[in-house]
Amino acid sequence: MSALGELHSLTKREKGQPKVKVKHRHNKAAYLFLLPWFLGLGIITIGPMISSLILSFTKYNLLQAPKFIGFDNYIRMLSDESLHQSLGVTFLYVFVSVPVQLGMALALALLLDRGVRGLAFYRSVFYLPSLLGSSVAIAVLWKQVFGTEGLVNQFLAMFGIAGQGWISSPQTALGTLIILNVWTFGAPMVIFLAGLRQIPTMYYEAASTDGASKFRQFRTITLPLLTPIIFFNLVLQIIHAFQSFTQAFIVSGGSGGPAESTLFYTLYLYIRGFSNFDMGYASAMAWVLLLIIGAFTAINFWASKHWVFYDD
Amino acid sequence: MSGVQFTRRAAGFMAFAAASALALSACGPSATPQGSEGAGELSSEPVTLTMTWWGNDTRQANTQKIIDAFEKAHPNINIEPSYSDWAGYWDKLATETAANNTPDIIQMDALYLSTYADRGALLDLSSLGDALNTSDLPQAAVDSGKVGDSLYAVSAGLTAYSLVANTSIFQQAGVELPDDKTWTWKDFAEITKKISDSGAGKYYGASAYGFEDGALRMWARQNGDQLFDKDGKVVIKQETVKSWWDELKKLTETGSVAPASTTIEKQSGGLSESLSATNQAALGFWWNGQLTALSKASGQDLKLLRVPESSGGKYWYKPSMFWSASSRTQHKAEAALFLDFLVNSQEAADIQLTERGVPANEKIRTAITPKLSETDKAVVAFLDDLSGDVGEAEPVTPPGGSAIEALLKKYTEQVLFDQVSTDKAAEGFIKDLSSEIQN
Amino acid sequence: MVSSAIKHAALILAGLIMLYPVLWLVVSSLRPTDEIFRDPGLVIRSTEFSNYADGWNTLSSPFTVFLINSSLVVLGCILGNLFSCSLAAYAFARLDFAGKKWWFAIMLITIMLPIHVVIVPQYILFSQLGWVNTFVPLILPKVLATDAFFIFLMVQFIRGIPRELDEAARIDGCGQGRIFAQVILPLMVPALATTAVFTFIWTWNDFFSQLLYLTKPEMYTVPLALRAFMDAQSSTSWGPMFAMSVVSLIPIFLVFLFGQRFLIKGIATTGGK
Repeated sequence: MSALGELHSLTKREKGQPKVKVKHRHNKAAYLFLLPWFLGLGIITIGPMISSLILSFTKYNLLQAPKFIGFDNYIRMLSDESLHQSLGVTFLYVFVSVPVQLGMALALALLLDRGVRGLAFYRSVFYLPSLLGSSVAIAVLWKQVFGTEGLVNQFLAMFGIAGQGWISSPQTALGTLIILNVWTFGAPMVIFLAGLRQIPTMYYEAASTDGASKFRQFRTITLPLLTPIIFFNLVLQIIHAFQSFTQAFIVSGGSGGPAESTLFYTLYLYIRGFSNFDMGYASAMAWVLLLIIGAFTAINFWASKHWVFYDD
Repeated sequence: MSGVQFTRRAAGFMAFAAASALALSACGPSATPQGSEGAGELSSEPVTLTMTWWGNDTRQANTQKIIDAFEKAHPNINIEPSYSDWAGYWDKLATETAANNTPDIIQMDALYLSTYADRGALLDLSSLGDALNTSDLPQAAVDSGKVGDSLYAVSAGLTAYSLVANTSIFQQAGVELPDDKTWTWKDFAEITKKISDSGAGKYYGASAYGFEDGALRMWARQNGDQLFDKDGKVVIKQETVKSWWDELKKLTETGSVAPASTTIEKQSGGLSESLSATNQAALGFWWNGQLTALSKASGQDLKLLRVPESSGGKYWYKPSMFWSASSRTQHKAEAALFLDFLVNSQEAADIQLTERGVPANEKIRTAITPKLSETDKAVVAFLDDLSGDVGEAEPVTPPGGSAIEALLKKYTEQVLFDQVSTDKAAEGFIKDLSSEIQN
Repeated sequence: MVSSAIKHAALILAGLIMLYPVLWLVVSSLRPTDEIFRDPGLVIRSTEFSNYADGWNTLSSPFTVFLINSSLVVLGCILGNLFSCSLAAYAFARLDFAGKKWWFAIMLITIMLPIHVVIVPQYILFSQLGWVNTFVPLILPKVLATDAFFIFLMVQFIRGIPRELDEAARIDGCGQGRIFAQVILPLMVPALATTAVFTFIWTWNDFFSQLLYLTKPEMYTVPLALRAFMDAQSSTSWGPMFAMSVVSLIPIFLVFLFGQRFLIKGIATTGGK
């Protein structure tokens, strides 16, 4: 840390300078800057959110006025086996796919940051899958890779191994969706790239003159200065993974099959709300999910104090 | 403006927004007054009717032509179409209905008919009186659009359950096509086993059933049982459902039908990726109207066969789809006029042919038959030929019954992958379906 | 030299594996529909461009209309997000105001609720306002910063910009508006570019809200048009669907290829004097 510490003492404000301590000194400016967001919150976001909270205490089939039923929806969730299955699927997915995807995205961002010719081209190529990730065509494309006659099985056949239908087998279907998610690592990769580019070059120059090795520069400059972005990706990817819907919906044809093995929480919520005209229950499910995601996010923010480094 | 004031105002505004959103969502289309008898007078002012359907680009092009023809005949009426794929269609229709924004003319499916009708979203078409003529439709076809005593939908076409046979696979396997009027499930098992054995993994005797309600309804009828009764209760016996899955399991184990994982992979891809469409199954369970699409996809000579043991009133005609109108339409007379055009006009039929199913209107059916392709002619001939063996119509699927396909799929998958015994599956299926319906 | 060649070889191999589905899509778009599933793999027997012509013309409007509609929606969303999210992010990252932590938490909470339960009340709201069948329900939320993802993203970037830079501007007598516009904005070009690229891609691919809010076919966007080729009960026109999927991929690919120039700018080249 010493090299970095030195760098910082160069740029940080002098110790002796008194910090102005006026409470909420920017109230007026802040509210002006936040005006569009406040309007959006008031007009578009909060109303429907509160509606959904209230609907979660009703029986609401979309076609008729909702009927108040108290906590029935929440109580029903305790004995809903499909719901429990969907929670299991979702947690497994979040815990496996988020770390793998972020690791892959960070590794490729570092690799594609500088020093290889034709970077722009490689970056675009590696980003291409992410463009396709939520296309309707992905269901068909994924079968070309993991289907009974897909690429994986053709490859295995070269070694005389008989493959199986990876998407259509309950044991492996979720795995293929995790791979699909990892395959579309382009979004976090781009955010990492942008973050890498934001690290002032003067830090590296100073470190080089100090004779710090590449690895040391990575450990003492790149990694700490990238932590806000790593943190951002972690928080948002966890939120996204909990809400994962589109890919499972398209690949399983909207059912979460085979045998509920890819029944993500949000997919089940959608099936209840729209396919089964059970929007009250779906709303209750949504608020439970909000609590789960909220808890994870809060833990993340709490933990971030110990590892995320801000320059302010 | 100080910060505190601002937040208070913002909070007040949010409360207002929340309250209004709730008030809105609470005003679903409950018990709309149906108005007086008859469709009322046609307006001479310009009238716009919104219309919606699901389907692919072919249907879109056909329907647009029908709309053009209608607008030409009635220059003051403007039809505003909207179309989407099957899944998106129902999400959108439900949302629009929640907002009292239901389109005037709605393409409807038997699985959803009572869901919408029971909850007041659809217009009672019998209130239109003579403006919508149903006299050229067979009574059974008219009745299929009734929920209780009210007519909520008029059949756009008919279809029947069938097996689609790939004659060239039969030839390759050296197996004769069966006599489908007399064959039994035992024959079916033997024939398909023979074909699968000769195919050695390249093709199979049959593709599995178990993913939609047609096969189960047929099985129930063959066993003196039925899925729903007239009061909308699930009445099928656990034993019937169990035997249906037992048979499927047996067929899978003997190799008559493809292995579980192949079956499920192909099934999830819809018609174009099915074993029938890719020439990997000699027999497949389909609604007979799908023959043309399958023939085109497979590029082979396909033939329609009756399901085993189906003679003697086991068969029924299923409406391939319906036309309905919104209970909130402001233009009942014009809606009636357009529905009548869709169902009874020769002009519309000539454009559409059998794209929405074989027309239920018998006059029209006779008139368009010479214009049909070979496969479409076979579809019509199959339906006509059945008429002696058609028994009672299936009772209307109760509200919430649209969940049946997802439930069947889930339990069939669990049965095929040995995750649950056929007995437990049957029990769970009946329990789940009943609770969806009460819901 | 050798290590660089290995690096390239590895990148190319990885790229090819990752691109297999994309290549398959392109190849299939050149096959007749009925051959696509009967004859899998990457070998093309005969190249047919008829899928492109068919796909372009068989729907109620030529595909150009859908591309233009999507572009309009995308453009509105990008401008909206850039404008409103950067303002909000500046406030959260740099300004000191009452209840900041709470507002920030509320902002995050708004993206934790699955869209499927808020979309119906939202639809009812917009339909009462008479905005169904316009692009307003698709664009207005972005103008009003409802995409908390990007606010949070920009907050993280702004917090990465050394405070000395705006302190200096403050000493020169700049107000918050000028600090934001003249100091922070130019330094957060990578975040802005990221926002623009992501908004483009996500809006371009978004299906559900466009499905609900757009009813007239002449208002349809690309994702809606692509689904119009599909019918699982009958035949899906896979050939034209794949062809138009390829067509719709080209704009996003180009945007990314050329847009990434701006991702690479930022402090590395403009700041740190």
